[in-house]
Amino acid sequence: MLSMQNISMVYRAGLVETHALRNFSLEVEEGDFVSVTGPSGSGKTTFLNIAGLLERFTDGRYELDGRDVSSLSDKESSAVRNEKIGFVFQSFNLIPDLNLFDNVDVPLRYRGFNANERKKRIETVLETVGLASRMKHLPSQLSGGQQQRVAIARALAGKPRLMLADEPTGNLDSKMALGVMELISEINRNGTTIIMVTHDPELAKMANRNVHILDGRVSNGDIEVPLSKVATA
Amino acid sequence: MEIGPIWRAMMRNKTGAILIALQIAVTMAIMVNAISIMQEKSRMMSRPSGLDEHNLFTIQSVGFADDFNERVTIEEDLAALRAMPGVVNAFQTNAIPLSGSGWSMGLQTEPGAEIDGTGVGLYFVDEHALDTYGVNLIAGENFSPTDITWRELVTNVWPGKTILTVAMAETLFPDDAMSALGKTVYINDTQPITVTGIIEKMQGSWPSWDGFERVMLVPHLLPWEDTQYLIRTEPGMRDELMPQVEEMLAETNKGRIVRRMRSMDEIRERAYRDESSMIKILTFTIALLVAVTSLGIVGLASFSVNRRTKQIGTRRALGATRVAILRYFMTENFIISLLGVSLGAALTIGLNILMIETFALTRIAWYLVPAAMLILLGIGQAAVLGPARRASSVPPAVATRTV
Ligand SMILES: Nc1ncnc2c1ncn2[C@@H]1O[C@H](COP(=O)(O)OP(=O)(O)OP(=O)(O)O)[C@@H](O)[C@H]1O
Ligand SMILES: [Mg+2]
Repeated sequence: MLSMQNISMVYRAGLVETHALRNFSLEVEEGDFVSVTGPSGSGKTTFLNIAGLLERFTDGRYELDGRDVSSLSDKESSAVRNEKIGFVFQSFNLIPDLNLFDNVDVPLRYRGFNANERKKRIETVLETVGLASRMKHLPSQLSGGQQQRVAIARALAGKPRLMLADEPTGNLDSKMALGVMELISEINRNGTTIIMVTHDPELAKMANRNVHILDGRVSNGDIEVPLSKVATA
Repeated sequence: MEIGPIWRAMMRNKTGAILIALQIAVTMAIMVNAISIMQEKSRMMSRPSGLDEHNLFTIQSVGFADDFNERVTIEEDLAALRAMPGVVNAFQTNAIPLSGSGWSMGLQTEPGAEIDGTGVGLYFVDEHALDTYGVNLIAGENFSPTDITWRELVTNVWPGKTILTVAMAETLFPDDAMSALGKTVYINDTQPITVTGIIEKMQGSWPSWDGFERVMLVPHLLPWEDTQYLIRTEPGMRDELMPQVEEMLAETNKGRIVRRMRSMDEIRERAYRDESSMIKILTFTIALLVAVTSLGIVGLASFSVNRRTKQIGTRRALGATRVAILRYFMTENFIISLLGVSLGAALTIGLNILMIETFALTRIAWYLVPAAMLILLGIGQAAVLGPARRASSVPPAVATRTV
């Protein structure tokens, strides 16, 4: 599904160079549920951004779904994001001025679906996350957990092959976090590949594989870290 | 197109949008009415005078010496002027078209003090006048030298002949202007005067008078110490001849002074000075209004781009191309501007009705409204282009990088 070889990412701010990723290599299989852990500043978000074509990397090779994505045009990479990838963010990133229906509608419009198709999909995914009855509500009228469910619905509506989540439970209390995690697990069980950054070792355990990043590299040389180690790290 | 959600999102933050739409509407109302006024003024200014304007100039002669003889001086002056190389013709007169000072009388088709005459601008002329003015005689004939007499200084007596403009003939004989030729009309209620010629077009002394194009020519020389000449030169010779004429008149008779030498172009320029400055002021006002409105649009759009940076990043992450983001802000502006110009169209017509009633202005030309709508929509799109481009260059990583 995803194959990164010797990816490096250097941020330049004036004379200062930050090596956010160095010789980063990773393979993710179709259907995997990968948790990504690591200390703050280790490069987790950078990795996720590159994986999701939100940022271009400095060096290395990245194939997504068998396609080299290093030199896609803006239009092409936008289409890949729109069709293949679902994003879930720590702070939900719902559009505050739009109701739930319109929020979930955003990626579907970029996809160019007709109104019927969009309506059907929106209702289905909002049903899936248990918020179909609140379609006309604004994000601000929901709890954090509910907002994240809407965000997940929005990510799901396009039926992506890959879902990328950056600390999806980071802004939620543990009870709401668990609910969201169950939803994510279920999505994975239905076949969507998931890569999820988390700080919480307990939540990381719910994945079937963990990647630990230290200082811009996969620690233990691209080998799965036994979950017990992560838990005590 | 995503007009639905753009509209719904806008309705959640409507204050700015409404203010800008109102600003556009007001700008449009003022702009269109100002343009309409400008059109009216420039229509007024572009009315042809019928004269050979570029080759005409006037000069005033004022006798002061004890032994100053008006009649001799005027006859000598005219002979000398007409003999000057480069001068086409010249005559003595009481007033100059467009100059702001002149005579007017009333003419009527039936005698009687109880009848209201039709106001007419009056010039005293001799047989050289038609050629000097350069006007087009379309019926009848010019005065002959024998028609020309000296007018008494204080008198009620009028010569028996006159030449009228078509505009005057038309007012007196609405059914058939040309039938005026040979007819007797009455001046001073009862004095008969025969129309012996009709000229196509000429203007009186006062541009804002509604009888501006009603003119009568009366065959008289004027035994005045203070008098003026109108002189027509060969094409292109005017500027060269003006100082020569001034010098010649000053030299040939030391018992008078010559002054107020002005070209017809200068007289026209002065006649319409108010109109020209009105046009300039209105142009400036429109430019200023449009500039302020454009800045308002830029301001609102910049503010809304800054406020929505994260949202833009999120949209990019969800699959929006740069072009889609650009289009979003252009569409948003288009909706606001469309509201503005639609309201503006109503406001424009309302303001026009008010202006017609209070300032007697004319109705705006119908095409000005759609034209202004299109122009303002275009200006709106141009103004929003900068902020919209900035929005489209917000990187998608903003979605994960900002809190
Ligand atoms: N736009 C940027 N410009 C410069 N440096 C950056 C930029 N984005 C990230 N970095 C740096 O790159 C490194 C990796 O950052 P990244 O956000 O990937 O870490 P992270 O593992 O997600 O951390 P956290 O757990 O705190 O979210 C950090 O040192 C960070 O300061
Ligand atoms: Mg991070």
